[in-house]
Order: sequence, then C-alpha cells, then structure tokens
Amino acid sequence: MITEFTEKIPFITLLGPPNSGKTTLFNYLSGKNYKTVNYPGATVEYSIARILKKYNFEANLLDSPGIISLIPESLDEKVSINAIYNHPKYGIPDLVIITVDASQLSRHLLLVSQLIEAKFKILIALTMTDILNKKGLDVSINKLEKLIGCNVVRIDGRNGKGVDQLLRAAEENIQNAKTYGGYQPVMVDNMNNSSALIEVFKKIEEIEHNVIVPIKHGNNIDFNNANKQLNILNVDADKKLTHKLDSTSLRIDKILLHKVWGLAVFFIIMAGIFTSIFWLAAPIMNLVDDLFGYLASDAFSYLGNNWYGDFIANGIITGTGSVLVFVPQILILFLILGVLEDTGYLARGAMLIDKPLSKIGLNGRSFVPMLSGFACAIPAMLAARTIPNKRERLLTIFIIPLMSCSARLPVYALLIGFLFPASKAWLAGIILAAIYVFSTASSIVVASVINKFRSEFLIEKNNSSFILELPAYRKPKLSVVANNAYHSAKLYFKKAGPIIIGFSIVLWFLTYFPNSNPDIKTKGLNQDQVIQLQKSERLSGSYAAELGRGIQPLMKPLGLDWRVGVSLISAFTAREVFVSSLALIFKVTDNTQPLQNSIIDAMRKATIDGTNQRLFTTSTIIGLIIFFVFALQCLSTIAVSKKETGGWKIPMLQLIVFTSMAYVSTFIAVNGLRLLGLP
Amino acid sequence: MKSAADLKNGEKGIIVSVDENHPSARRILEVGFTPGQEIELITKSIFSDPIAYAVRGTLIAIRKNEAECIKLL
Repeated sequence: MITEFTEKIPFITLLGPPNSGKTTLFNYLSGKNYKTVNYPGATVEYSIARILKKYNFEANLLDSPGIISLIPESLDEKVSINAIYNHPKYGIPDLVIITVDASQLSRHLLLVSQLIEAKFKILIALTMTDILNKKGLDVSINKLEKLIGCNVVRIDGRNGKGVDQLLRAAEENIQNAKTYGGYQPVMVDNMNNSSALIEVFKKIEEIEHNVIVPIKHGNNIDFNNANKQLNILNVDADKKLTHKLDSTSLRIDKILLHKVWGLAVFFIIMAGIFTSIFWLAAPIMNLVDDLFGYLASDAFSYLGNNWYGDFIANGIITGTGSVLVFVPQILILFLILGVLEDTGYLARGAMLIDKPLSKIGLNGRSFVPMLSGFACAIPAMLAARTIPNKRERLLTIFIIPLMSCSARLPVYALLIGFLFPASKAWLAGIILAAIYVFSTASSIVVASVINKFRSEFLIEKNNSSFILELPAYRKPKLSVVANNAYHSAKLYFKKAGPIIIGFSIVLWFLTYFPNSNPDIKTKGLNQDQVIQLQKSERLSGSYAAELGRGIQPLMKPLGLDWRVGVSLISAFTAREVFVSSLALIFKVTDNTQPLQNSIIDAMRKATIDGTNQRLFTTSTIIGLIIFFVFALQCLSTIAVSKKETGGWKIPMLQLIVFTSMAYVSTFIAVNGLRLLGLP
Repeated sequence: MKSAADLKNGEKGIIVSVDENHPSARRILEVGFTPGQEIELITKSIFSDPIAYAVRGTLIAIRKNEAECIKLL
C-alpha cells in the first residue's frame, strides 16, 4: 500500500558491486531484465522497471551499473554516478537498495560506507549467505544493522526467498523518510585520498569481524562446539576462514587459468561458440528467410503486380525479414555468452587474452565485443561498453566492422560457389575458414596501426588498466541469462530495425522508379518469368542503375562494371542484399533450381557491358571477396557507431578507411592476379 | 622493495603500501588491496601478465604493472 503522503510513486535505485547478485535481484523484482554494464559511456543506458504487481508494492526501480566505488574514475563514470545522486529523469531516489555479498563483506561494505557518507537512505540486500554457511559461518543481521545503521534483509538468489521481506522493509523505510521529510545526498569526495580509503577499510574490517559468527546450533549459539568443529582457535583464524577462497574454483582454475591448458581450453570454447553461432542458428535463419519469402510473394500475388504490391512485398516485408533474419544468431550468441558470464568464465577469458590484446592497444575486455562481431556488429558495439578505458573502447568499436559478420556469409557462399563446383565442398570450407582468419588478422593489423597513430585518431588519453574480479564458479541461472539474451535481441531490433527497414524502402524506391512500367516481350513466357523479367528491366532503367553507371569509372579498374556497382550500393542495407540484387540485375528468371545456382549460371555468362570480356572471373571474384572483407557496407553499423562513440568522427573514419582499404586491396588483388596469369 | 609482482605461484605476502603515484592506485585500493592485507599469488596468465591474487576472499586479476605498485613487507 502506498502512503497518502506520496503524490508520485516511489523511486528506488538498485546498486551493487559487480558479482554481488544485483542482476538476479533486479530480475526477481522486475520480471524483465536489462543487461547492465559495468561501466557507463557517454551513452549511459539505464534499465528502469516497475516492481512486479505480485509484490503488491508500486515503485519505479532503476538498475544502475555495477560499481565498486562512488568516486568516479573517468568522465564517463562520473556521468553514471551523478545519475545515482540525481537521475536526470527520476530525480533523487527515495531509497537505494544495495546488494552486498555476505562472503565479500570486507570489500562490498566500501560502497555501503560511501552511500552512508553521502547521506543516502539505504537498505542492504544481503546475498550469497549460502556460500558463507558452507564455511560454517553466518552473518548476524542484528549486529550488522546496528553497526551500519540501516536495515539488512537476507536474499536467496537461488529461489528468491527474502525478496518479499526486502520490499516490505523498503516500503517501511520510504514511508519513514516521508514522515520525517526528504533528504539530500551530498557528494563524497573526502574519500578520494588513499589514507581516508584505508581508514574506511579498517572500520569495515572491524564490522566484518563483529558480524561474522559461527552458525547457530538450534537457538543457542554454541561457540565452543563450533570453534572445535571448525578449528577456530582465535580471531585471526576466524578471519582466515572468512577469507578462504572457494576450493572447487581454485581446483578448476588450476586448469582453466593454466598458461598452456587454459589457453587451449579458451580457444576450444571460442571455436565452440563460433560454430554454434552458425550451425545452431542456420536452420532457424533459413526458416525466417523462407517465411518472409513466402509472405512477400503472397502479398505480391494478393495485391497484384503494381507499385504498391511491389512496395509492400519487396520494400516492407523483405526489409523486415532482413532485420529479423539475424535475431536467431544474436539470441544464440547472447545465450552462450550469458551462460559463460554467469558461470564466471568470461572474466577468466578476458584475463587470459588481456596481454596479447593490450599489445595492439586493446584490452582483455575487448574480446567479447570482438567475438560478438562475428555475429553482428551492432550488438558487438553495444557490448564494447564493458571496456572502462575510453580509448580502448573506441579502438574496439573501430575494428568491429572488420569482424566477419554473418551478413557476409551468403555473399561468400555465392562467390565461393562460383569458384568451386559443389563437388568440392571441402575446398569451399577451407576457403571460408581462410576468409575468417584473414579478416581477423586484418583487424589486428588495423588496430595496431591505429594504436601507433592513436593521438591522431583517438585523442582520448587515459590510464590503461585491467582490474577484474574472477568470481567463484557457479551454476548459471538460466532464467536470468534467457532474459538478458531476449533483451539484447530486442535492443538490436530497436536500434538496427528502423534503419534497415527505412533504407530498404529508400532502396526499393531507387530500384523501382522512374522506369516503373517497362515494356517487355511476353511471348512464350509464363507469368512468373514475365514478372521476373519486368523486375530486371525496371531495375536497369532505375535511379539505382543510373547511380551505378555513375560509379562505372570506379568499378572499371576493379575489372567490374556498373551492375556490380548497383549491387554493392544495395548491399548498404545489409550485406546479404548483394545476392538478391545480383539476381535481379542479371535477370535471373530460372526458378527450376536453387537461386544460388541460377545466379552462378547467370554470372558465368555475364560479360562486361559492350564487350565480349567475361565479367566474373577467378580474379574478379577473389577481388569481390576481398572487397567484402574490408568494406563498411552497413548503414546500421554506422548509425550505432555514431551513437556509441558520441559523434560522427569515428563512424566517418570507419567508412572512409575501410571502404578505401577495400577498394585499394581489391584493385591490387584483381590486377595482381591477372598479372600472374589468372583469368 | 618487494612488490606483489615478485611473488611466485602460491606465495603469500603482506601489503605495506600501494604506490600512490600509479594512476590505478585508488582502484587497486578500492578492490581491497590495502596495507595489512595478506595476499596470495594464485596464477599468472600467459606472458606472466595479468596476475591473479587471492585477496579478501576473492580472486582478482590485475596487470603486472599494477601489481608492481603494491609493495610488500
């Protein structure tokens, strides 16, 4: 029940150090979960939710990034910490609920002390007491409440026990605060120096020492027995037991953090993620593809062969399909990454790879974003927010478009299919693997080159650092992981969706007009073929074709012509559009065999406009593959890069640098291969 | 003076100070590497960097240059 003093519903901020169970609690309270990140950018995103109805307590809940301390380290962090004091939209929180890991009191109480110092109204949600219990110890809630001066409620993250009690305490706290008038938090800055910080830690250690007690036997605390059982002889032994590391985790780490075995396992896990992104997602992606294909052709035959029928079918439905087709992959990627993060492995992976990455100006934390980049650059750039150092984050975002995203896969499949007959599928597989290695290697080269000239590209100067807790291994909480994955997919759809659909519509317009009603000879053709031929004719007289002819002089040195140019322009919606665009432009009307084979047949017959010279040869196909490795042909990526880097500078640099790299290396490859005698 | 980076695998040491001139000094203190604490080097990553230490009941990985500013008894 809400007090009559409130005009608006209460506003609660949820805060907590990393690995303190904050995300799990947020999940219990809100039902839906937003991925919170360990560090904010200039693009701080907050997760806000209403507390679930079943708890019978109406309040807004803000999930803030996991922080160790209230004292910001960088300008970016300052933005998010300021928002805890006074959120731009919701104002000063009526209550701060802070999650504290019972087995980590001596570290996690730092943030609590700072919040109290800052005069926040706080409530502690004490998590993971089960870990402490395993050591035969427990926290005395009464003592802790007395020593800290706020309410403490025990929460069991495994089953949600205590959440209801936490909310009752929250309600009471807020009501009391209202009765006694509001409060105004003050910025803490006196803990900014080391000696003050050390003093705070001393006090915390004292508190920890006082509140950690041996487990009660029955209703009486049987100190003697417990001491005997646990071999606690004195205060120091007690402290040692509290701070003893999880022995199972230590044993696992003997292998997973081993210099040789650790690295081997790391690469096996990465390869596993990689293959599952493709193999698990492929059938679902095909399903989505087919579904939208049917929808589009149904809509087209229902609405008829006219401009609006074509607009609905090929502009809107196909556009929506090209957004949704990547959702399965993004979901799978984030499910796997979520499981790895929840088990505690991701932090270890970052540690293993930090040194090599730091050599090229990146950070151990860059590896998750880079890996995500193999699915799609958009979630990858969002994932880069976990890199605290701005320069390293910008550099990571910079090279992400070079990671071979899944939209390039259909293009490579077509081009490799042209080079090798289907009977040599294994050779095609090797070439595909080589393309991936090549694109990854290029990203490393680009990163190290930019790192050398970093002052010119990325002026941000700050301390490169890697301080990361490696939490004890635990079973992942699948509901939380699934929720996170769902949210990531939603985020992708919201960010990339409008751009891809919008651009599909613009592109549809450019390819449909002005020659919207071409004259064709229909004799001896069935209806499908007529429509297909009409499409092709329409395209060759369209604005897009004009645009393509405009870039003919650019295509010529590459051994290509305007028709490939048009397809390359179309590929800016999403790279895989290149394939369907080629199909249109080379008038592929044969529907007796799979589309890819028909396109390849048409490509084999194609000659450069006005000559007898073959357009697609081994050299030009290899050239095109190289073009796709480098070129930044994705408007959504550019838009997200602009948003994540806070300006046009980096996305424009990416567009110019990668596209000119693509052009120059394609030029060198095509002409070099011809010099070597290849067709 | 011996620093945390000089420890061997499984070796323990007691922190006396954290070099305040290091840009990461405050973060190092904030995660729990404070004077008086006993730390243990658990493992080193490839190229001996970063290094994972047991401190205050958890495992924390820090870069070698950051470990060098943690001075031991």
